[in-house]
Amino acid sequence: MNSALSRMLRSRAVRTLAMSALALTGAYALAQQMVTPQSKPPSEKAVKARTASGGYKPERMKNPNLAPHAGRMTVTQPSDIPLDKIRVPKGFQVELWAHGMPGVRMMTRGSKGTIWAGTRIIGRVYEIKDQGGVRTHRILAEKLVQPNGVAFQGGNLYVMAINRVFRYDGIEDSPNVKPVELTAAFKLPPEVHHNWKFIAFGPDSKLYVQVGSPCNICEPSDQHGQIRRYVADGSGMEVVARGVRNSVGFDFHPQTGELWFTDNGRDWQAEDGPQDELNRVSKIGQFFGFPYCHAQGIPDLDIKKKDPCKGVTLPVALMGPHSAALGMRFYTGAMFPKDYVNSIFVARRGSWNRTRLFGYDVVNVRATADGRNAKVTPFMTGFMDPKENKFWGRPVDVLQLPDGSLLVSDEQNGAIYRVSHKK
Amino acid sequence: MQRFDTARRTGVICRAVSLTCAAVLAAAPCYAQPKIDPSRGAAKAAACASCHGSPQRPPLAGMPTLAGQQEQFLVLQMFLMREGLRDVPQMAGTLKDFSDRDLDEVAAYFSRQTPARGGTSTKPKLHARGEVLAKGMACGSCHLGDYTGQRQVPRVASQREDYLAATLKAYRDNKRIGTDTSMNSILYQVPDTDIDALAHFLAYQ
Repeated sequence: MNSALSRMLRSRAVRTLAMSALALTGAYALAQQMVTPQSKPPSEKAVKARTASGGYKPERMKNPNLAPHAGRMTVTQPSDIPLDKIRVPKGFQVELWAHGMPGVRMMTRGSKGTIWAGTRIIGRVYEIKDQGGVRTHRILAEKLVQPNGVAFQGGNLYVMAINRVFRYDGIEDSPNVKPVELTAAFKLPPEVHHNWKFIAFGPDSKLYVQVGSPCNICEPSDQHGQIRRYVADGSGMEVVARGVRNSVGFDFHPQTGELWFTDNGRDWQAEDGPQDELNRVSKIGQFFGFPYCHAQGIPDLDIKKKDPCKGVTLPVALMGPHSAALGMRFYTGAMFPKDYVNSIFVARRGSWNRTRLFGYDVVNVRATADGRNAKVTPFMTGFMDPKENKFWGRPVDVLQLPDGSLLVSDEQNGAIYRVSHKK
Repeated sequence: MQRFDTARRTGVICRAVSLTCAAVLAAAPCYAQPKIDPSRGAAKAAACASCHGSPQRPPLAGMPTLAGQQEQFLVLQMFLMREGLRDVPQMAGTLKDFSDRDLDEVAAYFSRQTPARGGTSTKPKLHARGEVLAKGMACGSCHLGDYTGQRQVPRVASQREDYLAATLKAYRDNKRIGTDTSMNSILYQVPDTDIDALAHFLAYQ
């Protein structure tokens, strides 16, 4: 598999970008390139193993007919966003900060205040400007395959789709700049599942990139199930964390600079778990357990081995069953009460693989810098009605603004909220 | 209803609306969506029948049955094709002038039709192999036990066999996108022979 993969990567010519500037928006249409893996046909044995123990075990669940919830791809009008249902602690307020961006997900901010947000299925990157208290947005890129990853450093915006990488140089000064394609340098695997990227620059100025496991539960190749870091040009790749199922959020501790990341627990093992994780990388290359050992030391039911949790770094905190703990950032601002400083806000997109909905909120996690005494507290709730077992919003990412307020993206409604605090 | 394209090309301006919005929302229902009218969808859908054959099985090779298809699935797939996210040239042309509301109404129309059934298989061995695979791969979890689907998960029962086989292969080869990547994941490394058996079994459900 790995040699086949590397052959395939070598043989693939660097693709040129077909671009057509849209006069009205100045956006670039990036021609969609669906990714075609050319791995050799699997053996009968491999398929038997897959169908017999691939981990899709609906019979283990109370409700065997669970399926992911579809997102909305059309515009949600502000009048259809029930802002009054959102609950935050006393002293905090929530406003609808930007809207009309279906599928909006991971956010990053430029040094001059521009916000960019990635998406998944709808294939767009949005650019949002705040001009005197009024937000406008445009579509910076479209028709990409799940451009979930956005990061900013040194005046340049980095966009990462499933296996394509673009850099927009000096974009805040040159809004129509043509992106430089860095795909060949990053050598990312082509599998789609769990490979929408989360990316962020670390305190070492390197670009950290998640490469998830392309399955619910499986033995991932040595190209998958990890968080990597690269020099910003795609060179010097190192694996920072291994045994990762699918991380869609990480940040660096404000005091230690260590990488902390969320990871989604597997499905179809039980309704109540294994729970999603919040992890801390204290040593480069640490192993976090996938696929053998989950959450706080729960052995996998399908991929079995002796001493499954031996050598596994256990999580700092459990983030709830199937809660989809995704975007997370440490809080370093001056606006919120002092005890929020160095705590973590985590957006939980919400469950599908359990009968009763769980998550659909933003929680606050407090722990010591070395990852002890973690406590998870609800912070922003009301996107889900537990009595009706229905949801209307799905928080996916959080981002602190320079004034210390917090942006929260809601994929379901294509909206970004701003949470502020008045003393 | 505003055309989607217009909304996105002009950009949407938004203000800090927390207080006013909360006040308005307290008085008005939050989900005042326009009522979907399937009969309006029928007029729009007339052009679809020559290829899709609805409510009969489609006469053309590789063509899906739309009758009785899940409403949410139809809306989302038509959206993906209209926007060029799912590359089906014939459909992109047809859907070019469909508004979001048109998509809703056409989907409402087709989803309320009763589909033709697939009949009885004349290849019992292939059928049996397909059944084993469908159960082993837990297709019925999302597509339900009778494979009629739910929400964005499509009805696969009694679709044309050639359509099912081609679609499953396209998912495996990452040439087809859904509204999530479940199908890419489940079909990872499944060989053609097994996909053909699955397609055969499902076509006769």
